[in-house]
Amino acid sequence: MASITLDNLGKIYPGGTRAVGDVNIDIADGEFIVLVGPSGCGKSTLLRMVAGLESITEGEVRIGDRVVNRIEPADRDIAMVFQNYALYPHMSVRQNLAYGLKNRRTPRAEIERRVTEAAEILQIGPFLDRKPRALSGGQRQRVAMGRAIVREPAAFLFDEPLSNLDAKLRVQMRLEIKELQRRLRTTSLYVTHDQLEAMTLADRLVVLNGGRVEQIGTPLEVYRKPASAFVAGFIGSPAMNLLDARAVPHLPGTAHAGTIGIRPEDLSIAANGPIEMEVTAVEELGAQRLVHGLTGGEAITITLPPDAPLSETLRLGFDRGNLHLFQRETGARIN
Amino acid sequence: MIENRPGLNALAHLALIAGVVIVALPVWIAFVASTHTATDFSSGTVPMWPGPHLVENYSRMLDAGVSTSGTPPVGRMMLNSLIMALLIACGKIAISILSAFAIVYFRFPLRGLAFWCIFVTLMLPVEVRIVPTFQVVAGLGLLNSYAGLSVPLIASATATFLFRQVFLTMPDELVEAARIDGAGPMKFFRDILLPLSRTNMAALFVILFIYGWNQYLWPLLITTDAQYYTIVAGIKRMADAVDGLPQWHLVMATAVLAMLPPVAVVIGMQKLFVKGLVETEK
Ligand SMILES: Nc1ncnc2c1ncn2[C@@H]1O[C@H](COP(=O)(O)OP(=O)(O)OP(=O)(O)O)[C@@H](O)[C@H]1O
Ligand SMILES: [Mg+2]
Repeated sequence: MASITLDNLGKIYPGGTRAVGDVNIDIADGEFIVLVGPSGCGKSTLLRMVAGLESITEGEVRIGDRVVNRIEPADRDIAMVFQNYALYPHMSVRQNLAYGLKNRRTPRAEIERRVTEAAEILQIGPFLDRKPRALSGGQRQRVAMGRAIVREPAAFLFDEPLSNLDAKLRVQMRLEIKELQRRLRTTSLYVTHDQLEAMTLADRLVVLNGGRVEQIGTPLEVYRKPASAFVAGFIGSPAMNLLDARAVPHLPGTAHAGTIGIRPEDLSIAANGPIEMEVTAVEELGAQRLVHGLTGGEAITITLPPDAPLSETLRLGFDRGNLHLFQRETGARIN
Repeated sequence: MIENRPGLNALAHLALIAGVVIVALPVWIAFVASTHTATDFSSGTVPMWPGPHLVENYSRMLDAGVSTSGTPPVGRMMLNSLIMALLIACGKIAISILSAFAIVYFRFPLRGLAFWCIFVTLMLPVEVRIVPTFQVVAGLGLLNSYAGLSVPLIASATATFLFRQVFLTMPDELVEAARIDGAGPMKFFRDILLPLSRTNMAALFVILFIYGWNQYLWPLLITTDAQYYTIVAGIKRMADAVDGLPQWHLVMATAVLAMLPPVAVVIGMQKLFVKGLVETEK
């Protein structure tokens, strides 16, 4: 187990595309860090640089206190779980798990012990002698994690490991991964574009946008105090309402703000609230009701209890402490 | 076809049966001819049903051969053909899988040039370069040898391209997973690439074995010692009887024998073939 430090890390692909720039992250020993961001923001690139699958063009990666920039992936003491599992199709599950250990000349008895142990943790014992093609997606994912576990590495790297699974299984595996990491206390770096996955798994979140770090913090910090309008819009579901200040000029306490953010769950119906909303659509989610509409030409969404009365126009109020104010040009947080 | 009209069905069957007859008839005639005596066959009417001399003709060919044409017994020629075909098939597979591995997985200087050189050899089959190749082989003293029979036919662009295509369909993640698992290039080749290309190798083996077995012009040219005659070239020599009529019944018996090994290879490898088609391993 080890800490990981990314120091001014950057990547320019041959051809000049900048995928990542100025990334500084200190990952403590045993910490679960989730990299989250929209598609194409450089999450995979960043992870692959840590893994050693992509060359580092700027800055440094340190695992423990060793700079690993020029060290082969196999010698970095990391294990990676891929989105499409990347199991060796011609090997049985047992051989898949053992392959990396065999290449490291681990004694046979030790391999046997670790494989049995991992199979027990992941409940894949009954499948040990099957080929990957005879497994379901969820089982394959477990085997892929088993391959990482048996190595007992300093760090786990996950690249969207759950995105090929169906929604229900995803929720279940998410919990299992969290459980597993708590139990093994192995430093983990996890990439996802699913903000819910990010929130539930992370000790700390790293929100990326366009190859740059927008914010690093615990899920609650990021949720309660997003550092920029981008983070505010990305984290939280349904997404935070981001209103152009010019469209709602009369709101109290919003002077100097370019963009005003308020979460749908922080809005409520108030007879003489400051926001007037024209209802355009209603989504029933069972436990609650999502009401979409317009105010001053800007889209706005509010969550209401399922039995709340509806009309064509609603007046909405909010607690001033729940407002998020951002600069117009940079999107940086003001309050 | 989704429609099920009896008329169309009958027509389709008719066309297929006609095709089978066209392909099978010469084979049948060759077999029938090999069971008669020389006079039966050259007397004017071609017999359509097997005669009584099957055992006699075949055992004569296997033991002694046709002394007048200077060919060794069929068994010897079959062995020569088998050695040549196996050397060609295995040599081609070994060389092309290695060159495809180099082209797909390594960045080396002049990689593009190497690729194009291989590509250009596609345009130069043996028949085109036969005279210079003969000179080189003669200069190396390889006339009348198994090496001379097989080596010039081994370099293969087609097989290289086939393996290149197979390797390009291997997911990148598989390569990366192997890298993280500490498999160096040769280990990756041996433990992952080779087993995953097994069915492709089998398919290619069948094609190349038949290609090697059926080689005609090249063996005819470079073998003057009867010990190295191959069966396909041998048939030609038998048919060229200098004095009198070729002994067709014996030539046909040889031809039927020459057909057997390729058929055996196709039937023997069929299972692996079909498995390769049904399995979607990668
Ligand atoms: N080999 C490459 N050469 C050039 N540019 C690349 C290469 N790989 C990725 N990029 C670019 O780098 C940027 C980041 O890509 P990356 O794969 O890291 O995104 P991502 O955040 O993982 O996205 P996703 O969520 O869709 O997987 C993208 O704009 C992409 O086009
Ligand atoms: Mg990605």
